[in-house]
Amino acid sequence: MFALCDCNNFYASAERLFRPELNGLPLVVLSNNDGCVIARSEEAKQCGIKMGDPEFLVRDQINKYNIQVFSSNYVLYGDISERVMSNLGRWFPRIDVYSIDEAFGWLGGVSDLHHYVPEIRRSVISNTGIPISIGVAPTKTLAKLANKLAKQNNGVLVLDTPERITEAVHDFPVKNLWGVGQQYFNKLKSLGIETAGQLREMPELWLKQNMTIVGQRMWNELWGKPSISIDNTPDVRKGVSVSRSFQNYIVNPDILSEAVSMYACRLAEKLRKEKLHCSYLQVFLYTNQHREDHPQHFPSKTNKLSIAGNNTNDIVRIATQAARELYKPGIKYRKAGVISTGLIPESELQLNIFDVYDGGKKDDLSKTLDLINLAYGRGTIRMASEGYRKTWKLRHEYLSKGYTTRWKDIIKVK
Amino acid sequence: MIRAIEDRAEQKISGFRSPADDYLEGRLNISEVLVIDPESTFYFQMDSQSMKNQGLLSGDILVIDRSLIPVEEAIVVAFVNSCFYCRRYYTRNNRPVLIGDDDEIDTTDGQILQVWGVVTSICRNTLPISLRKGKYRRVCTL
Repeated sequence: MFALCDCNNFYASAERLFRPELNGLPLVVLSNNDGCVIARSEEAKQCGIKMGDPEFLVRDQINKYNIQVFSSNYVLYGDISERVMSNLGRWFPRIDVYSIDEAFGWLGGVSDLHHYVPEIRRSVISNTGIPISIGVAPTKTLAKLANKLAKQNNGVLVLDTPERITEAVHDFPVKNLWGVGQQYFNKLKSLGIETAGQLREMPELWLKQNMTIVGQRMWNELWGKPSISIDNTPDVRKGVSVSRSFQNYIVNPDILSEAVSMYACRLAEKLRKEKLHCSYLQVFLYTNQHREDHPQHFPSKTNKLSIAGNNTNDIVRIATQAARELYKPGIKYRKAGVISTGLIPESELQLNIFDVYDGGKKDDLSKTLDLINLAYGRGTIRMASEGYRKTWKLRHEYLSKGYTTRWKDIIKVK
Repeated sequence: MIRAIEDRAEQKISGFRSPADDYLEGRLNISEVLVIDPESTFYFQMDSQSMKNQGLLSGDILVIDRSLIPVEEAIVVAFVNSCFYCRRYYTRNNRPVLIGDDDEIDTTDGQILQVWGVVTSICRNTLPISLRKGKYRRVCTL
């Protein structure tokens, strides 16, 4: 049996954990740079706020219903997510974290699911303060479906008999099924299939003639035959990138270079953390495409590294140089990014026979940077090319604190 | 708490191998004693003298474990009246009551009292002011 454990309104719940006075009030979390709504409390959903709504468009609703607004605090969400996953891990012989707020657990050899699963939920909620829902079923697709239904059913739903499964799929809208996107939904709808129950009742032969392998897997899963394995790990990363919008438009090449320098620095750190070297480095710049009155410019430039690498010095040098080449005076830039591709695991690195590798010292320096920044906090030691003013830095006006990661931010009690 | 790694620097031997090599153990780390369940532990800070007579001073770091269910006399952190309080926990007529040195917080007037976690230990700087200099300024102070 598979269990899909999912945090309810995760970002909103994480914010409320340290601000209990906000329980029961509408609350939204904005994306990086405070652009769009990316998470909503139940109450905010009822106020009509949609996922992805730009902040400036829902400003009136926010004021009208007194909706609490937060910038996304990934430092906090990351730590709370780790706590939830570690707590969940204690209850399953095997667990696969699927995203920041959900995980598949494998329930092998557990006899009394109807007592065990509510106990998991109670314990995780108590230990972490984050409400979760758990759906249990013989396949991952059904576990996902059970989880959706669990949210209206005391947070737990165990589909352990054919009768329970039949009842659950019967009215379940096919568009909420795991793996059904807009295109698939349109196709099924045109065939008159609107519920998971209807899809399941189609004969297997019809499925083979009309559907792709994805549809056939889904059908099998709905009948309780596992067709999606639990260890479908994501592929080895093809690219690692860092890109951000600026708080204000950038028109000055030096300031642009500062921003790109910081993104490149972050990128090099990411590569080292994953023990990857990159062969190509692309830098791109964006203007604001929604402003028809601004001259538009979307340049990009890709450079090949002579030897695949991940040290901060080289990456920053190449990236800032490219940014300066791309820059055109008189253009208002809104966003920049650095993308690394041609990734090679550290252990498979090969040197060109004619090259003399002189990166050893820079690699050691980068390792030391990482250690210092790990011990004393990110950004403690950094490249001077990032500058000090950081006028381009991300906007996060409504950022909450690092309650669990920074001593100066811990909560004071009376 | 399980020790994740043996916390010892690797020694490069240039002469004789140390006879203690086979007997090395991980060095003591205070969080092994203070923290029982790291995945359920949070840190808050005392910011009042309301529990002074019971040994908690303003500035103390509170180690809070959410996995415990409070019993009578446990010191807890609770949220009442839009505020976090650290007090001793009692029940009276099946209702929770928080008791400090000279105040009582109960829920008779219909407010919600939510116990956030149980305080398992505290950390305090014991240095006299004259020694709180340089890197020692930060001992258990924030």
